[in-house]
Amino acid sequence: MKRLLLLFAVLALVAGTTFGQSAAAKKNLEDSLKVDVSVLKAADNQPLIVLSTEKKVIPARPANPEALPETDPLHWYDMEYAGWNTKKVNQPKSPGDGAIGKKIIFIVHGDHPWTTACILGAKKVADAYKIQFKALSPNWDLAVQNQMIDQAINERPDAILLIPLDAKTAPQQARKINEAGIPLFLFNTLPSAEAMNYCIAWTGPDDFGQQRKLARVWADEMKKRNADAKSIGVAYVQHAPGGSPYYARCWGPMSELSGYAPSVNTLIKDAPGFDADKASQVVGDWLTRFGPDLKGIFAADDSAQAIGIFEALKKAGRNDVVVVAAGNSRQGMDLVKQGKLFAITYQTAEGDGALAVKTASDWFNGKPVPPVSYIPQKIITKANVDQFYPAQW
Amino acid sequence: MTTPNLKSNRSQVLPWIDRNRIFLLFFVILAFMTAFAPRFFNPFNLTTIMSTTAMNACVAIGFSIVMISGQLDLSIGTVITLAGIIGLGLQPRFGYAVSVPVAIVAGCLVGLVNGLLVTKAKINSFIVTLGTMTILQGVVYQSTGGNSIALSTPVAFSTADFLGKKLMPLVTPRILVTLALVAVFELVMRKTRFGRNFYMVGGNRNTAWLAGIGSDAYIIGAFMLSGLTAAVGGVFFAMESAAATQNLGTNSLMYVMSATIIGGTAMSGGKGGVFRSFVAILTLEILYDGVILFGLGNEVKIFLAGLILALVVLYEAYAVYKHDKVVGQRPYLLKELAEAGVKKG
Repeated sequence: MKRLLLLFAVLALVAGTTFGQSAAAKKNLEDSLKVDVSVLKAADNQPLIVLSTEKKVIPARPANPEALPETDPLHWYDMEYAGWNTKKVNQPKSPGDGAIGKKIIFIVHGDHPWTTACILGAKKVADAYKIQFKALSPNWDLAVQNQMIDQAINERPDAILLIPLDAKTAPQQARKINEAGIPLFLFNTLPSAEAMNYCIAWTGPDDFGQQRKLARVWADEMKKRNADAKSIGVAYVQHAPGGSPYYARCWGPMSELSGYAPSVNTLIKDAPGFDADKASQVVGDWLTRFGPDLKGIFAADDSAQAIGIFEALKKAGRNDVVVVAAGNSRQGMDLVKQGKLFAITYQTAEGDGALAVKTASDWFNGKPVPPVSYIPQKIITKANVDQFYPAQW
Repeated sequence: MTTPNLKSNRSQVLPWIDRNRIFLLFFVILAFMTAFAPRFFNPFNLTTIMSTTAMNACVAIGFSIVMISGQLDLSIGTVITLAGIIGLGLQPRFGYAVSVPVAIVAGCLVGLVNGLLVTKAKINSFIVTLGTMTILQGVVYQSTGGNSIALSTPVAFSTADFLGKKLMPLVTPRILVTLALVAVFELVMRKTRFGRNFYMVGGNRNTAWLAGIGSDAYIIGAFMLSGLTAAVGGVFFAMESAAATQNLGTNSLMYVMSATIIGGTAMSGGKGGVFRSFVAILTLEILYDGVILFGLGNEVKIFLAGLILALVVLYEAYAVYKHDKVVGQRPYLLKELAEAGVKKG
């Protein structure tokens, strides 16, 4: 009899604890679902979280994209459409118990004003959900990022959010986190397609799509200014090698223009880094080498690189070159306002970080999460630049 | 006449501290992190530290030997990258059995070129290796078109998993390779005539010549060992990441150089050791790991590493100043004279 009573007491205790836990989880979920992050604003007074309304058209994958020439948009298929047609591996199930009180580790790629704004945006959403938020920056060092991933796994957070430092090293990093059973959300830079198998979702800018759009605006202006020219020579100042912007911000526009504006002819491309002096030196050399044949420059960065480009153009006494750049830093927007830069892309840094945390929160809340979510695409020119002040970084 | 007891306790303790400063620093930082850094002292985190140490510790072996020989090798960072790119780039066609040795041989060849230019063309090692570094960067960039190399094949992933798999507490195969190399080179440098000759060449090349040591051969050998260990570090790191990037070794040069100096290897040559450099790298990694666990930023990490380096360099400068001040003095003689009642001056 005593044994039966003891068994009954234990069962009652277990049932009570389980019921208590599930009631607490239910309450947490209800509270989490009440959190409204759509009211949050970024530093530029734009809404913090806005999803792209443009539907991305996903073409059929060619048998071997890499066999196609680099100027063919489909050569970049596996990078541009990474995440859309992947087979997810070993994915953890959503706990469905609410985002409030969860712990996330947010690993970025390196120190930069853009990163500071990105972390700020992420923190705003994390604070709204009362998420324990820890941001780590490896300062562009792959070995340190790998170390941070190991440390993050050691801390057993509820999720890891990661900007892979290099598109091609991302699969092994993502595998490691996936095998540790920790939910992974990738964001900002596009990893190679293999890495997408191991993450729950990817969020960030449609870098290829955005640069293709910018390329069209750029080509239209160059054609307007050089109406009689049979060939319009252009150059590309590239992003740092390795990450997806290196590809998207050079071969994105280049492959777009091969169809849209075949008269635009690539003269040269180079990756001088993010130092205004180096960019100035490289562009100065181009101006000497190509002279008036150089009609346009596409820069991967609208801050230091753009400043360097305009230094070189000023020294050469050239104001006929149509320059466009990716990003919307304060320097970039000032250059647009001054009429120097013809156009830049709107890429909300705060929104980028915020969308990653929002997606993780939706997943904690048991909501369906799309494999890929883009932040909106906009082109900033002198006509609309005032709408985007003050700059986020 | 009795032999004067000239060594006070103070004069015994200070040199001991000086000789063992890197070990003391290691224990102080380890104890601090164990006591205060959250989740520091657990097997997973300690393995992470060892794993992060593995590449640069391996590179530091050869770099230390070059510095002990009185030279400098600025090309180690690009050799790391080159080896990673070769090791992974050739793997799909030839397999790791061929690509890894080729990568290591390539590192040795870079060292051979450096050594020949330093010894035969009599060019300063700083200039030679700066040139090699720049040329290699161009070669790597040109050969890959600026792209990273990644392998997503089952072989690449299984190799990566194996290299990161724990064989015993704190030890993965990649860490084991580094530990074995450190142990072998430390023994060779300390216990064999071949190893001790590097100290002789770096300490005083004329004396080495008088002792019949072929300095040129040792300097060439030092550069080749530097290329070898940098290549081993780079290729194994790339294999565990299943990818090699263009800037794989970019940050290693300053890091390894700082750690080697902190470890007590003199830039002027003739002093230092492989094991000390290893402990210095481990110490810095523990420090960096703790900084991250405290949730502090990268700037704090850079500041602390810089602070330690600055203190070590200042101490070295003070030690040289103090040494120069007493060169030629015979304190025991002065004391004997004083005891005999002869006035100084």
